[in-house]
Amino acid sequence: MQQFLTQTGSNSSAATSPPASPQPRLRQQQAPRKERDPQNKEKEAPPAAMADEHQDLTRAFAGLGGLGVDETALVSALGRWRRQPEKRAQFRRGFLGFFSASAGAVAGIERCEDEYLLHLQAEFARFKDAAVLWAMHPWERDARWAHHVLHKAHPPQVLVEVACTRAADDLLGARRAYQALYHRSLEEDVAYRVRDANASLLVGLVSAYRYEGACVSEDLATEEAKALAAAVRSAPAAATKLVQNEQVVRVLATRSKPQLRATFRIYMELHGKPLEEDLAAEPCLREAVKCLDSPPKYFSEVISRAFSDDADRQAKAALTRVLVSRADTDMEDIKDAYARQYGAKLADAVAKNTHGHYKDALLAIIGK
Amino acid sequence: MATITVPRVVPSPAEDAAALLKAFQGWGTDEQAVISILAHRYATQRKQIALEYEHKYSESLIQRLQSELSGDFERAVYHWMFDPAERQAVMANAATECIQEEYPVIVEVACTNSSAELVAVKKAYHALYRRSLEEDVAARATGNLRSLLLALVSTYRYDGDDNVDMELARSEAKIVHEAVRNGAAAGGHEELIRVVGTRSKAQLRATFGCFKDEHRGSVTKALPRGDDPTGYPRALRKAVRCVADPSKYFAKVLRNATRESAGTDEDSLTRVVVMHAEKDDMGAICAAFQKRASCTLEQAIAKETSGDYRSFLLALLGS
Repeated sequence: MQQFLTQTGSNSSAATSPPASPQPRLRQQQAPRKERDPQNKEKEAPPAAMADEHQDLTRAFAGLGGLGVDETALVSALGRWRRQPEKRAQFRRGFLGFFSASAGAVAGIERCEDEYLLHLQAEFARFKDAAVLWAMHPWERDARWAHHVLHKAHPPQVLVEVACTRAADDLLGARRAYQALYHRSLEEDVAYRVRDANASLLVGLVSAYRYEGACVSEDLATEEAKALAAAVRSAPAAATKLVQNEQVVRVLATRSKPQLRATFRIYMELHGKPLEEDLAAEPCLREAVKCLDSPPKYFSEVISRAFSDDADRQAKAALTRVLVSRADTDMEDIKDAYARQYGAKLADAVAKNTHGHYKDALLAIIGK
Repeated sequence: MATITVPRVVPSPAEDAAALLKAFQGWGTDEQAVISILAHRYATQRKQIALEYEHKYSESLIQRLQSELSGDFERAVYHWMFDPAERQAVMANAATECIQEEYPVIVEVACTNSSAELVAVKKAYHALYRRSLEEDVAARATGNLRSLLLALVSTYRYDGDDNVDMELARSEAKIVHEAVRNGAAAGGHEELIRVVGTRSKAQLRATFGCFKDEHRGSVTKALPRGDDPTGYPRALRKAVRCVADPSKYFAKVLRNATRESAGTDEDSLTRVVVMHAEKDDMGAICAAFQKRASCTLEQAIAKETSGDYRSFLLALLGS
């Protein structure tokens, strides 16, 4: 078991698509296990207490949902049932997501599921990742995330996020860090490795060095809102997809953020609905617009997605990424946006959905 | 090696400012005095003189120069007064105003600076015009020219030459060859723009070298002359030449500008001399000029220009 408890880096290993989270299966095990226990031959502990013990153990082994591992519970679980291997065997037989009696039947064991070991590895690594990323220079963080996304062919959400929510000099700093780390420029790797329709948008976004001043031209915003609307209207019949439309890419990749927000506002005024709604068919484009328009709102959505039951590996890793990278910038705005959107305090949601040292680390980062 | 000469003992900015005021006073302007001061000061010194002048005489030195001088001489001195980053930002902005003709300026600024210098130009552009260079280029150009110029201007190339991948150079030389052969079909332009617009200069030079080895002709000769009205083929050729050998490129611009038959192109002449006189590569440009022309650059300038403009340019070249 030892080899699986050492970390080999966050979100690493599985080059194949992430396995479906084991958690939904586990949640379904709760009821059946309680029914099975009364048939249990053990007489030392009454069935209800046994079920509690099993539940505690399951929770300790990151088995009841939520992110991170409850280290305290795990330590006390390890001290349980000394010299009682038959109880441990019973636990293994009851924890169907973690162990499989059928898979190990040939050898007479309840075999550890490889998927669950990966799940444990990821959960144990969360605290480590949060600490290491927190200590790193922001530019190096962004460069490493970008490199990871490109070389593991993960969805480009992280690239859009880094390119659109960082200040111009921070994005430039991240590009410099990328060069120092990997001896290639970020845009050359993006251009080389992203071969789908999103390529020109992504290259444009990561190459941007936007004007940061507040100077906004209402006329220009109106003109470009109309150009965007025209592009959206003509998209269904056009030869290329909306995300490849030159006007759209040009506006989103070169205009300053205040100018873009004015454009989005005017779009809403002209068409009665926000631009994001019209971009439902192009997730990359929609994410870019959201990031450019209101980073706190976008980040609070990403955080909320990390807590949902069907969150995949990337969605869960996003929690650490968002909280660590925004701790020094707009954390207060994110807290406000989260409260507005989900009616709960961010700290409460984090406390509810995470465990152990990971939880403490995140709460410390979020602050009061 | 830069060509301007600065006296070993430089007068203080206050002395220079006073001397300039004296040159402006009275009937007419003492242009020689202006040249003898400004053409022999580095960018930081010129900036200090301008600050001192404004502080003491409550008017902008640049504006006074603009009113006292005229013609090509005035334009040359005006551009010379800026520091290198601001100067290129000013030239690039002027070029975006009529981008269909002036795109070579943008290609030059984008391709012949180091990555750090290009960022300085873009920062200066933000400060001067409260917009980014990229947004102006993107808004004014169209079609393939826009895609190319925007890529060239936005990129932050890796500056090192320690990571040239010869395998990649060979495969990209093939891509370039295919793109050139197939033209607009099958996204040929996109791949060309991707390679030329993102790869490091060292990697590109390796790619061009592989192209030459494989196809016995340089990339620039192979690039289509094209009938694209947006000027994209010419811009692409210029970009490739700027990356491959900037000194040779600028020497050619100077030769074209000082050609006897066609009349002198003062704008290009001023641009190249003023941009490079205080940079390390001016010596190389002069050498490249002399290699192809039958005379030195100074001789060509002496022959094709006159008056204060000529004196100023020759002073910048160290004559």
